[in-house]
Amino acid sequence: MHCLVIEDDPVIGGHIVSGLGAAGIDTTLAVNAAQALERSRTGEFDSVVLDRLLPDGNGIDIIRAWRRHGTVPPVLMLSALGSVKDRIEGLESGADDYLAKPFHMAELVARVHAISRRTPQRGSSEQAARSVGRLRLDPSRHAACFGPASVELNRKLYSLLAHLMLHADRLVTRDMLLEHVWGYSFSPGTNIVESNMSRLRTRLQELGIDPILTRRGEGYVLLAGACR
Amino acid sequence: MIGGVFALAMLLMGALVFVVAERTVALRIDSDLIHHKAKFLRVPSGRAATSEEVAARIRDWQARKITSERTYSLFAPDGRQVAGRLAVRPRPGLSDVLFLGGGRTWQRGRALAERLPDGSLFVIVQHSEAAAGLRALLPHLVMGAFVAALTAGLGATWFFAHLTARRLAATGATADAIAAAGDLARRVPMDGLDGMFARQAESLNRMLDRMESLVETQRHFASALAHDLRTPLTRLSTLLTCDLAGDEARLRRAIEAAERECAGIIAIFDALLRLAEIEGGRHGGAMVALSLDRLVEDIAETMEPVIADAGGTLVTGPLEQAAIHGDPGLITQLLVNLLQNVATHTPAGTSARLSVHRAGDHVELVLQDNGPGLPREDCARVLRPLERGTAAADRRGSGLGLSIAQAIVRFHQGRLELADSGPGLEVRIAFPAVALPRI
Repeated sequence: MHCLVIEDDPVIGGHIVSGLGAAGIDTTLAVNAAQALERSRTGEFDSVVLDRLLPDGNGIDIIRAWRRHGTVPPVLMLSALGSVKDRIEGLESGADDYLAKPFHMAELVARVHAISRRTPQRGSSEQAARSVGRLRLDPSRHAACFGPASVELNRKLYSLLAHLMLHADRLVTRDMLLEHVWGYSFSPGTNIVESNMSRLRTRLQELGIDPILTRRGEGYVLLAGACR
Repeated sequence: MIGGVFALAMLLMGALVFVVAERTVALRIDSDLIHHKAKFLRVPSGRAATSEEVAARIRDWQARKITSERTYSLFAPDGRQVAGRLAVRPRPGLSDVLFLGGGRTWQRGRALAERLPDGSLFVIVQHSEAAAGLRALLPHLVMGAFVAALTAGLGATWFFAHLTARRLAATGATADAIAAAGDLARRVPMDGLDGMFARQAESLNRMLDRMESLVETQRHFASALAHDLRTPLTRLSTLLTCDLAGDEARLRRAIEAAERECAGIIAIFDALLRLAEIEGGRHGGAMVALSLDRLVEDIAETMEPVIADAGGTLVTGPLEQAAIHGDPGLITQLLVNLLQNVATHTPAGTSARLSVHRAGDHVELVLQDNGPGLPREDCARVLRPLERGTAAADRRGSGLGLSIAQAIVRFHQGRLELADSGPGLEVRIAFPAVALPRI
């Protein structure tokens, strides 16, 4: 996987490059809008990490320029502007995800993985995520099934499990879950994810499996191997 | 400036008076001349007088009048003077003439000449001493009036300006003192002021009252924020200065703890930003007809595990069907914040109940718990930013949850009240109701 990183701050840029590198993602760094457009002409990228404010332009304008010239790789927009309005503006401009500074490297890596996975099989992913190993979702009963056993879940736990299964074997962070499962654009500053996750884990244990791994300070991973 | 305009206006006025007076005198003289000409050129029976009769009348008039402002003359068709003393022969009609008065001094006069049917020329010259005197006097009169009016006007202007300045001086001194020293406790002195000056001073003082309270709130907020940041920053600094070299496990724990402190600090700023967004109406959501009972049910589902983990219980009901005009994101945050408070600030074993009622044109959302509640004096305080209940030993949370809740309720034109539900706390929120959205 190859990621184009567009960030003018040398400290943050270096941090992102080394962080993505440690996660096995190749990177190319551009430090301004002109360089970004130049690099994107000469190389193929699976994803882009784009700083919203650049010395010679705006990240949103770069996306627009790419749009005019054809396909745009999945974009994670980074910004010190963290208000809900800024986030909405960023997403409406064509970014696939939006992350406010300061951020954790684990959060950034998880989101880059998530957006670059999102593009190729958008239609089939929903279907594919209905089962991981022997763990299945039954949307008609809002239930999780493992082999012959099944357990009913409330709407939130069901969506939570569905999201984890969609990203099986990948790190999903707390903020990603708040955004995608709960649709919260604010930071609730509470244990919503932790408490609901422990509830889900308890329900899955009733099926005899415990596939959710907690990575402290980072997020959660649903292990496909634990669902066999 | 004002003085100059005033003087100019007075000058124009004087010139106007002068021209009008001058013109009036001239017209008066002309009509006199015409009147006397008619009198001389007709005999009492109404017939036009012959030149002999006119000459006779002139001579007769001369014999009777020693001094007069008018002089009559008659010239024969060949130009010879038949009667009268003045040898001035103007053209027929009205004209200005110059003549030797008394044979010694040149004088100005107004003449009226008329040709008689036999070709003789009848001339009246009027030299009015009174008119000349008036004319000579007029410029002095106008000038005098001008100077008097100017003096009086400027004097009055200066007097009122001085009076106004003296009354405004106190206001100015207060404003200067506040600007110089930032002392918002000062007020404009009211003694000796009346009418509009008193009203103005009152409104200025009211503004200063408001400003003082705003600044006080701001100052309090800043010191509370500094205090709230000092705690996690101190812990962070302690963690960073510990000598943990070589002890891998302790180092990792210290890093995790440091990250938690950072997250806490960031959370405070996120909450502040959010509060400012909501208070400024820049939160980015859209207002829709919102089914409040369903939203409550949905959020209770999410928050029930959180409260359960904190050792409490959350139940809902009764949830009457009700809709409000609201931003779903904001109402969600409102409910999450309130339930978060139950989880954080009540002891294990507390049970909370969320209910929705319709009351007339309002929808009421009530969150009631059987925890220790809040002393009455804390109820107003905890709604302010970074204020906590006096009994809250722990300082968990941003201290902005209820301020944000209050801002959200206000944004929706609602009302938030905290009350003692004996025992426990009751949060009662009223929103204006709207018709239920069609499903």
